[in-house]
Amino acid sequence: MHIVDGVLSAPVLVGGVVLTAGGIALGLRSLTLERVPAAGVLSATFFVATLIHVPVGPSSVHLIMNGLAGLLLSWVAFPALFVGLVLQAVFFGYGGLTVLGVNTLVMALPAVVVGLLFRRLAMSPDGRLAALAGFLAGALGIVLAGSMVALVLWLSGAEFIPIAKFVVLAHVPIALIDGLVCAAAVALIHRVKPELLGTLMLSPRPAPTRRLARQPAP
Amino acid sequence: MSHLLGDGAATPTATAPESAGAGSAASAVASLDPRIRILAACAFALVTVALDDLLILVIPLMMAGAALIVARLPLGPTLRRLAMMDGFILVLLLMLPFTVPGEPAVTLFGWPASWAGLEQAAAIALKANAILLMLGSLVGSMDPTTLGHALWRLRVPENLVHLLLFTVRYIAVVDAEYRRHRRAMKVRCFRPGTNLHSLRAIGYLVGMMLVRALERSERILQAMKCRGFNGRLVLLDDLCLGRRDILFGVLFAMGLALLPVLEVLHGRAA
Amino acid sequence: MAALLELDGVEFAYPQRPPVLRGVSMVLHAGERLAIAGANGAGKSTLLQVLVGLHRPQAGRVIAFGAERRVEADFFDVRRRAGLVFQDPDDQLFCPTVLEDVAFGPLNLGQSREQALATVERVLARVGLDGFRDRVTHKLSGGEKRLVSLAGVLAMEPEVLLLDEPTSALDEETTARLVEILTGLPQAMILVSHDAHFRRRVATRSVRLRDGLLGAPDEVRACAAGGG
Repeated sequence: MHIVDGVLSAPVLVGGVVLTAGGIALGLRSLTLERVPAAGVLSATFFVATLIHVPVGPSSVHLIMNGLAGLLLSWVAFPALFVGLVLQAVFFGYGGLTVLGVNTLVMALPAVVVGLLFRRLAMSPDGRLAALAGFLAGALGIVLAGSMVALVLWLSGAEFIPIAKFVVLAHVPIALIDGLVCAAAVALIHRVKPELLGTLMLSPRPAPTRRLARQPAP
Repeated sequence: MSHLLGDGAATPTATAPESAGAGSAASAVASLDPRIRILAACAFALVTVALDDLLILVIPLMMAGAALIVARLPLGPTLRRLAMMDGFILVLLLMLPFTVPGEPAVTLFGWPASWAGLEQAAAIALKANAILLMLGSLVGSMDPTTLGHALWRLRVPENLVHLLLFTVRYIAVVDAEYRRHRRAMKVRCFRPGTNLHSLRAIGYLVGMMLVRALERSERILQAMKCRGFNGRLVLLDDLCLGRRDILFGVLFAMGLALLPVLEVLHGRAA
Repeated sequence: MAALLELDGVEFAYPQRPPVLRGVSMVLHAGERLAIAGANGAGKSTLLQVLVGLHRPQAGRVIAFGAERRVEADFFDVRRRAGLVFQDPDDQLFCPTVLEDVAFGPLNLGQSREQALATVERVLARVGLDGFRDRVTHKLSGGEKRLVSLAGVLAMEPEVLLLDEPTSALDEETTARLVEILTGLPQAMILVSHDAHFRRRVATRSVRLRDGLLGAPDEVRACAAGGG
């Protein structure tokens, strides 16, 4: 679900850029260079996961997995999804350039929210509860993303209201699919490597020495 | 796309314009400084979305088409990729004529489609395609690693640049792993469908890929530490703005500045 | 003896690369254990993947279980009856537990939960992994992963086993165990392996893939002289 250039009004575009910049800044605060390899390989994996198509009747939908990204990455979801969207726009021709802020915001903000809501549940010792958390995070991540797409359309003009309604409706089946896939993924992670759910969350600030080391810039 | 995924339909070298052309064979776009190309694409996007006049909007599309040709990107695949627009954007464009109030142009099944709506849909299609084409021609034609270096020189935060570079570095690796997994599932007769068994299998696959991604990143970090990593990563590049780059920048900026002027003139004439 | 799998003049090249297979012909009969040797990159894995239709040859015919196979739908049946064990078990094991991973194939073939459970128990016993069903696949040792990935394929009750470098990264003890399991199985099999010792102990016949063609193995002469 990428909005293209030329659809949204200027205030919405600017708002998207400002809020996304804030989200990215928050995400980068916890992203020391030592954690970049983990964040990078995970964001590459999420990128590949969005290329997976699931058949729905005669057609198919691709996975979005922003809820799962939120569970694993927390605020780092902002820079990670932003990087993915940049690569999509530049090398795949999906989305757009002036909408990068909005497109990141509608995916990453729901990711962060469901991450905050369901991470505790996903880390509970009971595997079934973890899977439930996965389902809720996956499904709600999509529902919220769809609602935010609808919201930015609605804010951009009255002529988009019917389309905004359609967008919300169209996200319901996607939410179910992403929710179920996410539930299975979390069930596996819970079983196999539960620490994955907390890798990029512990101690949100870099150690002082490292902050010093990051200072020298051009 | 082939840059990122490694083994696509074609080998990377066959479609990566920069690796294909050394010396005189390199396209005029490839020889420009990456920073200028990024800034030009951004400025182009900003000016283009601000335009309203349908006739004037044809100019950015033509500029983008020219850039595509100068960049020597494979025409077929690039245009095909653009045509594969998001389904939702298509629906949006198709619905607009019916949701924008105005003088009806045609009536379909009792629903009037307004001229204003048709114009707005056409404007969106023109803007979206022009910007993506220009972005693909100027920036998409560079190696993703070069993009990272150029962004760093443009003062993008260092750890965001490294995140981009790591992502780019491992997309092909993870994608190859994904394909091997899918082959292994296929030989065990997995045929995806809309059912719980399939969704669970795909979920397990995604989960396992994430687990392996994390473990791979742990090994990467260990290997980095073995080579003396101390929390710093150094980017090395030899980017340097030449006279041609500045000339291109000035000409491009003048061309862009002309667009709103033309729009105003055309508006007065009409 | 009935021919199970047959390649007839198969040629295959990956896009924009020199051909890997330049007219390979081979036959696998029931009860045979055919070893294929060859240098790195000689196309041994490709050959196995062509047999189950993961790659389509540009020329030549693939004949499996008495019928020529051309399109994807033909190969679905082939993959059920000829089980391919991948070189890297990590590519194959993607479920959280051994139970789920071994049950994956049987469930794809339409077995019920109960049937699949019974199959898993039986197959795990066959490879000597009783009590492993609830283990987490990811935390198994290399040798255990290898045996579980073999079990996952055996669970589909194939008529032919295709093994891609089954001994890579295995210690001597696990290799010995694998030899014991494989020689005890009724299935015909094709083994692709660098391990000459392993090939000698398991295979009933050997060939070598060189320059895109199958030929007599170098070691056959030595073996024959020694009475092996």
